[in-house]
This record gives sequence, structure tokens and C-alpha cells, in this order.
Amino acid sequence: MRRSSVGALVLFLCATTAPAALRVNGSTTVNPVISQAAEILRREASIEIQVDTVGGSSGGIAALGDGRAEIAMSSRPLSRRDRERFPEVDFRAVRIGTDALALVVSGDVWNGGVRCLSRGQARGLYEGRIRNWRELGGPDQRIAFFNKEPGRGTWEVFAGWLYGDADSAPLVSLLEVGSNEEARSKVGSTRGAITQLSAAWADGETTFPLSICEDDGDEVAPTRASILAGDYPLARALYVVTDGPAEGAARRLIDLVLSERGQVIVERHGYMALTAPVQAGGAHP
Amino acid sequence: MIRSWTRWASYAATAVVLCFVLSLVSSLVVESLPVLRQEGLSYLSGKTWHSRAGIFGALPMIYGSIVVSVIALALAAPLGVGAALFSAEYLSGRRRWIVKAPIELLAGIPSVVYGLLGVLLLRNWIYELLEPFDPLSGDTLLTAGVLLAVMVLPTVMTLSDDALRGVPASQRRAARGLGLTRAEGILRVSLPQAAPGLAAALLLGFGRALGETIAVFLVVGRQDNQWPETLLSPRAWFEAGQTLTSKLGGSETFVAYGDPLHWGAIVGLGLILLTLVAGLTLLAGRWLPDGRRHA
Repeated sequence: MRRSSVGALVLFLCATTAPAALRVNGSTTVNPVISQAAEILRREASIEIQVDTVGGSSGGIAALGDGRAEIAMSSRPLSRRDRERFPEVDFRAVRIGTDALALVVSGDVWNGGVRCLSRGQARGLYEGRIRNWRELGGPDQRIAFFNKEPGRGTWEVFAGWLYGDADSAPLVSLLEVGSNEEARSKVGSTRGAITQLSAAWADGETTFPLSICEDDGDEVAPTRASILAGDYPLARALYVVTDGPAEGAARRLIDLVLSERGQVIVERHGYMALTAPVQAGGAHP
Repeated sequence: MIRSWTRWASYAATAVVLCFVLSLVSSLVVESLPVLRQEGLSYLSGKTWHSRAGIFGALPMIYGSIVVSVIALALAAPLGVGAALFSAEYLSGRRRWIVKAPIELLAGIPSVVYGLLGVLLLRNWIYELLEPFDPLSGDTLLTAGVLLAVMVLPTVMTLSDDALRGVPASQRRAARGLGLTRAEGILRVSLPQAAPGLAAALLLGFGRALGETIAVFLVVGRQDNQWPETLLSPRAWFEAGQTLTSKLGGSETFVAYGDPLHWGAIVGLGLILLTLVAGLTLLAGRWLPDGRRHA
């Protein structure tokens, strides 16, 4: 016990002796892009940038509001509640790309024939009215719904799609996951599993993104073409947020991400660059 | 002169430490007042927690914390005390150190490493093991308990070893002299003499299990409102749950910040946890000096 606390102290001292010039906090979906851009600035401009994803989008926005970060990463738009909570903060969201949120299932569900869910079915799953994949034409397997923690941008976008806005979502108690990495690893290793996850994170080997069945019987897959055409309802913008206009190191990081070079990074992680002719559909402009 | 100087310095140090403790406890109490005022005792006894509806009942989390710690201790106690018996009774000097050092080294591994190993290996192993019971996933109270067992093992082992080493050698020699075998000596002399120290070791291990966060967070499932139909039925152990620490480590803490009632409910969990661990530590402390007095 004593040794571990000494170790923690040493780590703490190391972490505090090299103060970062720029602190970034928030969404695990936005994180890969920002981390890579931060790595470039660190190498080329020797700017020390610290990127943290501990509380997801809402955690990042709260950190920005409290002055614990200079940039928040968010996979959801700013809400009225954010502005009410931090009235003295001048939130400025800059869109850096587009992503598609998908319902991602484990291999046995996918191979069992489930390829598509309607909005009504998604509600049934979330509310626990549908408990077995058999009811959706899949294998005879209990449904393990790994719910993204409330406060995560992904959860807020998902709840907004199903119930209009996140506050109207019914009260449920499901298994919870936090980061995208955790969601993917747990769904990939559990039978009958499903989660809300950025489609770019589904690997196509153990985790598979489902299509959305429209009322007219059409299936819309979260593909580049359908997202760019504005057909896929769960397309969403990805943002970085600052307090007032970005300055100094924050400005340089955001400029880099918005530059051609930065937009290549956005594409490399499976998201869509701003230069793509995007018309994100659904509730989130 | 020197005497008064040392006395003054030690008084000051004690005062600073006590100030820390007092301000910590009082700020926890003050911050959690809103929820205590609204929920009253049902904050402790309520079985429902829905933050968006403003309902805060912490009982399922207290249950979760106690269950994972009991599982951890049930597994770590026989192993830890067994290993301590071996090193204290059968080994001496260098050889004892060779056995003890690696076990103590377990304590130096950061808990996030345990958590990752738990996600990668233990979670899947438990998932397969429990297959006859049709678990929903590998995230269960049992998984967290087994992981914690490994983590509290060094605490239990080292403190048990200290307790056993505290039994005077003259007592062992007397037992041998009276014709007792080694096994009889251990059962009749060493274990009874070291009993208070062993109990303290187990309690401190329990306290450590209660307080552990990251490793539990990653494998417990974090499912709210899991209250078993039958309190002592182990069936609920094969399901996901939520502990006090996994709730505190989750993103709800960030959501709660700024809303006095919700924030109070979160801080209140910290207060409950502090009370539980402090109670156990005090209890262990009452026994620990007794164990030492025999030495």
C-alpha cells in the first residue's frame, strides 16, 4: 500500500513539473483526431499539449467552463443547459468534421441475421421491452445493451434521436460503458451485445454497425454516401469548443485541424472532412 | 529548550493533520447536505437512483461495494493467511524475503493495470466460467470481487505475516518442548496468539477493497439499481452491479457538478465510503496494538 502511494506521488510530481501549455478535454470520438494534431504541434512547434477524455463531451465542456481546460472536444452540439450552467463562459464551437453514430452489435448478432433496426425497435431495446434477439429475427440470445454513460456526447445524440431531446429519455438502468474503446472491446467480447458507438469505431471483425430501417422499408447504412447525401439520420457534427475566440496555442491547434493537413487526419480516423459536401440529416444540423 | 522546540513542532504537525481531516470531513458533510435534507434516511435505504428524476437511493451501491469486498476477502483471506503462515512459520531470513517480496510487489502495481488485465483476461474467463448461469456479460460483481482479491492479497499477506512473526519465539519453543508437532504448534499457539493481528489484517484488506476504484470500475458493469430479490442469494453476484466507487469514478460526477442536489448526492456517496472505511480502520486499529502487545 505504501509503495503504491509513493509511486502515485512520483507520477503526480512528474505530471505537475511539466505544465502543459494547452489542456484539451472531452469526447473520446474526437480524441484520435486532436491527439494526432497535438502530436504534430508537439513535434514541430514544441507546444506541450495534454489531451484527456475522462468525462466525455459533457466532462470536457464542464472542464472548459471551470477553467480546467482551454479546449473542449465534443461529439454533440452545445446545449442550452451548458450555457445555463456556465453563464459567464462565452462558448464558441468550431466544427471540425462529421461522424455517424450507429448501433453497433457483436458478431453473433450480425451473423445471426440482424442487419437493421428501426427507431421503434431501438426504443424497445433501450427500454427493455425487447429482451431477446429472436424477436428481431436474430439468434436466440439475451440482449446485452451496453449503454453509453449519460453525459457522453454519443448518448445525448442517441437519446435525442429516439425521444426528441435527452431530457425526455425514459429512466432506465442498463450496463454502462464510458469511452469508445471500452464500448468496442466489451461489445466485441459479449454475446448478444449492442451499444451506441461512432460507426467509424466498429471494426467489422468483432463489432458491426447496423443500418437503420426507415418507415418505408428502406435500409440506410452509415456509409459515406448515405451520410453525405443526408439520408442517414444519426449523422452528427464533431466540434472543438473554446471560451471566447481561440488564442495562442489553442488557435494553432484548431487552425491545424481545420487545415488541409488536419482534415486528412479527420478522414484517416474514419470521419468525414469538412470539405466533403455534407448535409448532416436528423435533429442535429 | 530543545525539548520544548520538538514538542512545539510535533504539536503543530498534529494540528495541521487534524485540520486536514476535519476540513475534509466537514466539507463532505456540507456539500452533501442538500441531498440529506431532501432524501433523509432514504438516501441510505432507498433502492432507486435516477439522477434525472431527482431520486437518490444509495443502497444498491452500498450492497455492491460490500458484496465485491466480501468476495475479495473470502478469496484473499485463505491465500493470504496461508502464505503468511508459510513465510512466518517455515521460512527464515533470506528465504522468507524471497517469498514475501514478490507478493508485496503486487501492491506496487497501479490499479489501472489490474483493471486492464481484468477487462482483457478475467472478464472473459469469468464469462465462460459462468456460462451455465447464462450471464448477460462478463461484467459482474464476481469479476470485480476476484480482481479485488488479487489486489488486497499483499495487504492481507504482509500484515498477517507481521502478526504471526509477532508471536514470541519462546512460545514456539515451549510448544515444541511440550511435544507438540509443528502443525499443533501453529494451530494451538501461533494462530490464537496472532488472532487479533490477523483480524486487523483482514479488516484492512476489506477497507482497501471497499476503496478501490479504477479496476472495479472497468469490470463491474456499472449497472444502477441492481437490488437482489433475496439478499444473501449469490445469484446476484453473477450479474452486473454498481459500487460506491464505480459510481464516483463515472461520468455522472461531471454531469452532477453545478447542480447542488445531484452534486450533494455524489459527494454523499464519498461520505458513506469514508465512513465505512474509517469505521473498519478504527476497528482494525483497536485490534492491531493488542496483537503487537503480545510481541
